Amino acid sequence: MKKLFALLLAAMMIVSLAACNNSASEQSQAPDPGQSDGAQNTAAPGGSSDPITLTLWGAEEDQDLLAQLVEEFKAEYSDYTFDIQIGVQSESTAKDTILTDVEAGADVYAFASDQLTDLVAAGALLALDDTMDQVLQSYTGKTLDEIMSANSAGSVEVSTYEDTLYAFPFSADGYFMFYDPTYISAEQAQSWDTLLDAAEAAGKRVGMTLASGWYNAGFFYGAGFTTTLNADGTTVIDWNGTSADGITGVQVTQGMLGIASHPAFLAIADGDVSNQINSGSLAAVISGCWDSSTAEANFGDDYVACKLPTFTCGDQQVQTGSVASYKLMGVNPYAENTGWAMLLAEFLTNEQSQVTRFEQRALAPTNANASSDPSVAANKGVAGLAEQSAYAVVQTVGQRFWDPTASFGEQIAQGTIASDDASVQAALDSLVEGVNSAIE
Amino acid sequence: MMKATTVNAAPPDVSRTLSRAKSRKTGRMIGHNVIIAVLAVVWLIPIIWLVCTAFSAQSGMNTSTFFPAEWSVTHFVKLFQPDTVNQFPRWFMNTLIIACATCVISTCFVLMVAYATSFGKFKSRKLLMNIAVILNLFPGVLTMIATYFILRTFGLTNSHVGLILVYSASSGLGYLICKGFFDTVPRALCEAARLDGCNEARIFWNIIIPTSKPIIVYTVINSFLTPWMDFVYAKMILNAGISEYYTVAVGLYNMLEKSLINSYFTIFCCGGVLVSVPISILFFIMQKFYVEGITAGAVKG
Amino acid sequence: MNESASAVGYGGKVKRSISAFFGAIGSFFADFGRAAAKGDAFVKLSLIWWGAGYLRRKQFVKALIMTLLEVGVILFSIFFASQYVPKFNTLGTVQAEQIFNMQTMQMEWNDYDHSFMILLFSLFSFVVWFVALVVWMKNTVNVYRLQLAAERGKHINSFAEDVKTYLDKKFHITLLSLPVLGIVIFTVIPILLLVFVAFTNYDQNHMPPNSLFTWVGLDNFVSLLGGGGLTVTFGYAFVRVLGWTLVWAFFSTLTTYFGGILLSLLLNSKLTRGSRFWRLLFVITIAVPQFVSLLLVSNMFSNNGIINTLCSNVGLTDFLRNAGLISTSYIPFLSAPGWAHVMIIFINIWIGVPYQMLIATGVLGNLPVDQLESARIDGANKTQTFRYITMPYLLQVTAPSLVTDFVKNINNFNVIYLLTDRTFVTTNQAMANSQAREVDLLVTWLFRLTQDYYNYKMAAVIGIMVFIVCAVFTLIAFNFIIRGDKEGVYQ
Repeated sequence: MKKLFALLLAAMMIVSLAACNNSASEQSQAPDPGQSDGAQNTAAPGGSSDPITLTLWGAEEDQDLLAQLVEEFKAEYSDYTFDIQIGVQSESTAKDTILTDVEAGADVYAFASDQLTDLVAAGALLALDDTMDQVLQSYTGKTLDEIMSANSAGSVEVSTYEDTLYAFPFSADGYFMFYDPTYISAEQAQSWDTLLDAAEAAGKRVGMTLASGWYNAGFFYGAGFTTTLNADGTTVIDWNGTSADGITGVQVTQGMLGIASHPAFLAIADGDVSNQINSGSLAAVISGCWDSSTAEANFGDDYVACKLPTFTCGDQQVQTGSVASYKLMGVNPYAENTGWAMLLAEFLTNEQSQVTRFEQRALAPTNANASSDPSVAANKGVAGLAEQSAYAVVQTVGQRFWDPTASFGEQIAQGTIASDDASVQAALDSLVEGVNSAIE
Repeated sequence: MMKATTVNAAPPDVSRTLSRAKSRKTGRMIGHNVIIAVLAVVWLIPIIWLVCTAFSAQSGMNTSTFFPAEWSVTHFVKLFQPDTVNQFPRWFMNTLIIACATCVISTCFVLMVAYATSFGKFKSRKLLMNIAVILNLFPGVLTMIATYFILRTFGLTNSHVGLILVYSASSGLGYLICKGFFDTVPRALCEAARLDGCNEARIFWNIIIPTSKPIIVYTVINSFLTPWMDFVYAKMILNAGISEYYTVAVGLYNMLEKSLINSYFTIFCCGGVLVSVPISILFFIMQKFYVEGITAGAVKG
Repeated sequence: MNESASAVGYGGKVKRSISAFFGAIGSFFADFGRAAAKGDAFVKLSLIWWGAGYLRRKQFVKALIMTLLEVGVILFSIFFASQYVPKFNTLGTVQAEQIFNMQTMQMEWNDYDHSFMILLFSLFSFVVWFVALVVWMKNTVNVYRLQLAAERGKHINSFAEDVKTYLDKKFHITLLSLPVLGIVIFTVIPILLLVFVAFTNYDQNHMPPNSLFTWVGLDNFVSLLGGGGLTVTFGYAFVRVLGWTLVWAFFSTLTTYFGGILLSLLLNSKLTRGSRFWRLLFVITIAVPQFVSLLLVSNMFSNNGIINTLCSNVGLTDFLRNAGLISTSYIPFLSAPGWAHVMIIFINIWIGVPYQMLIATGVLGNLPVDQLESARIDGANKTQTFRYITMPYLLQVTAPSLVTDFVKNINNFNVIYLLTDRTFVTTNQAMANSQAREVDLLVTWLFRLTQDYYNYKMAAVIGIMVFIVCAVFTLIAFNFIIRGDKEGVYQ
């Protein structure tokens, strides 16, 4: 037994030692995230002996695309040598990883626009100020203003915080509606009531995620409500009052309750939408470009992507709004080669890269020229997104927004709020109190 | 009680009663085993679903029928064709290496601490044991961030050495079961050895280790499994997004990301099956020792 | 990390050992005092130069080692600790500032303070100094002992002989040094660090390196316990979460414990055929990693998952809805509070019983044969033997593990996190406003606070609360339920 044990021990030690050496040598290729403060590389630009090291994070699905774009970037700046490492980090979770340790984050990273305020607050995004403007002009010949005007107004608005641009937009990422024309006519898709009735008649259902402040805010935005963010990171919502359009929050909530209680309505958990489209029980669903192929596979080649339907608010029909969301490319100020990181981020989001991205990943560009390409307009998902974008609102909110609104949506989905005015008002008051409360 | 009635039965009826009792006994036996079988089936339903889903032709989750509409092994094949998301063979090797190293270090540490606390007669023994008690009462997830920064200080984030340290460095705290086992080793054995001129080191190596097979197996299995199961620490420490460094747990867990679940759910299940098979075999072979070890230690701790 | 640290039977000795603990410290100081007072010039010199006493006794290697150690500590203090420890009282004052250098295309940073690193390295320095202090005192005592030995003309060990004692009399030091070092770096320092964080304002608005955090005293504890204007609901959420944590720990411990005993009795019965095979079937649930099995189960029971489809196909969903038990078009197995609580405990039975079954099986295998034999001779029937011998033995032997299982379940992160993280959204607005949910345990709440909200200060406070709950429970359990310390019985 003892000999066996000793033998086993030795064997394991050797295996693991060999392996550790192995991984250690691989490790050395990656820039050491521990060295950030004060460790200055004195290599002058153009000094071709020391390669300029950069790290880049993008979504899993984008890895091949990014590798190709990075090659193009190297070709563009062929006077310099680069060592660019691409890592996997999905846009929806970039903030979580970055904020745990900003100094270890990638130099350039893609993230969803709703994370911008938190990232700026944590100092994880490089401010694209006048200095950066000069760098851009001297290397790319473009000014920041030119870049801003080349992209859609909404995408620039979400990338801006207190009049400073903090990221380069590269893709529109909102939600709209897919439906199956076999069960639903274009006429019926105009309002939630007719849509749900048509689905019920066909024995199908209409799915939407309610338990998320990203989706359910659309109803309130449609009715003219707003969300604002204060400088101290607190959020202000007025959903328990009356909107600029003269609609009360109670009416909006009652409209939502009416939809959610319809037998043909299916409340889908956040992140479960693709599964539900696949299950075949849906005739229509609220989702985004990321589900285009799933929708096509299940709703047929003639599937329709269009704006959201109108919903009943009191005695009028109100167009359901949505959140104008984008995918942005940000630069980590703690990057070793901050200037080059910024140039890389700019390159990955320029017109040509956006066209390439559309060709490979069918993601809606934000660049006006890239969007005007006929093939882009012909893409159903992109067209649907564009149709809804007229009703999309930029959502600037702080961290306290998400949990209360998710809970509010879940209460509507489960029907735990009674639909009389007093209960709805009480629920809204509680929601507003939670969202508006100070950060402790 | 049944026995009693049989004995009291009248002699002429003995054979009939016996055969009746026998058939009743068979009946009870069948009933008994049927109950176990039913329980086993209930226990295995999720596992069966896992295996079925792994052999499904569909790549997303199947929510309409229990068994897949179409069977296929394509996803097992895909599991071994690395792409930007899936690097399973690589992850498997990483985890195996980390598990082996963790296993060696943890086992040594546990045995060392257990021996020192069980056989040692030094003053601060009780104090150390009480400190260990207190440390064990703190929730592990609380200290993650601190552990991360300690590793970063040493430049060990995004490295397997760092992960091995995280899994094994504190393993000495889990010495109690092993100590419980050592406490049952007759002290006369050591006294005799000491009289023969053995020093403590020799007693440890030549006498205690050979008699501790069950507890070693138990410790080895437990520490070997940790890297296969943990996704929280690994996710935090391997934060550079280089998927070749991932362990199986991080990689598979990642496949359930919103944007990936629809195309990778079946592959996730395949991975789950492939990880479980070797562990099940390990358990099957080591079952006897494992049970011996855990009880010997747990009972007398 | 301490997953394998299934410590069984700890804690019983706490009370008695407190007096022993202070006694030991007292005698340590007394030894040191005596050595410092009564030692000769070289012993006294050792207070300044650690190697002096050994040099006097011609233990050159030891003298060298101690001198190097001392130099090491001094260098450490000058070059490392001095950078951080002086800032410990403020946790840093220099905000990070950056200037872009057009020439190098790099950002130039000022020499900014990183509050977390200051805290971490100060703590590290304190630990090093504490160890140095103990070594220094111990060293003086040792040198004094050497002096006494020399005066009495006793043999003084050569270095080789000294080394040998580390394989014999002092073998425990050899054995313990590495494991203890690991524990100090990877458990003690992190725990101390987070205990300190509970007294700071380390949260999303004060995240290093971009901004600094500092000491705030007991503010965080006040806000957790319901005081303070900012946290309207934190106190409420804490009470709710604590309540469920205790309920969960109680039921999950008892159900798996008795479930395991019942299952092992079933499997070990003489009537069972192929018990090894059956046992393996149950053990498979242990072998599948929890992140696979639990995530799978969570998907099976999700609102639109397979189980719900089956239930609605057989009409169970409609039946429950007509009976008024559910208001939704699905059965909210893991998404409505009452349902989720029960389901979590059931699923935990599924995960936990096989493990307890293994333990019970082992214990049953160790049944005292002589007792069973004498009972049989006395004419006890099966039921009586079971009731008066098997069960009492089983309970007596495994009862201490109930206490540790309870503590482990309070900290059972995996089951709750994997089952509910993706499926459960609270409908209780007051809970949602504190980022808590009805199904959260203190540890999962703590985890979400750190991972999603970077609210480390409150997470640390909750962590301390978890510790207090566990400690109180352990003390009570060992003082009132299980008496006596079984260690030594076998020695």
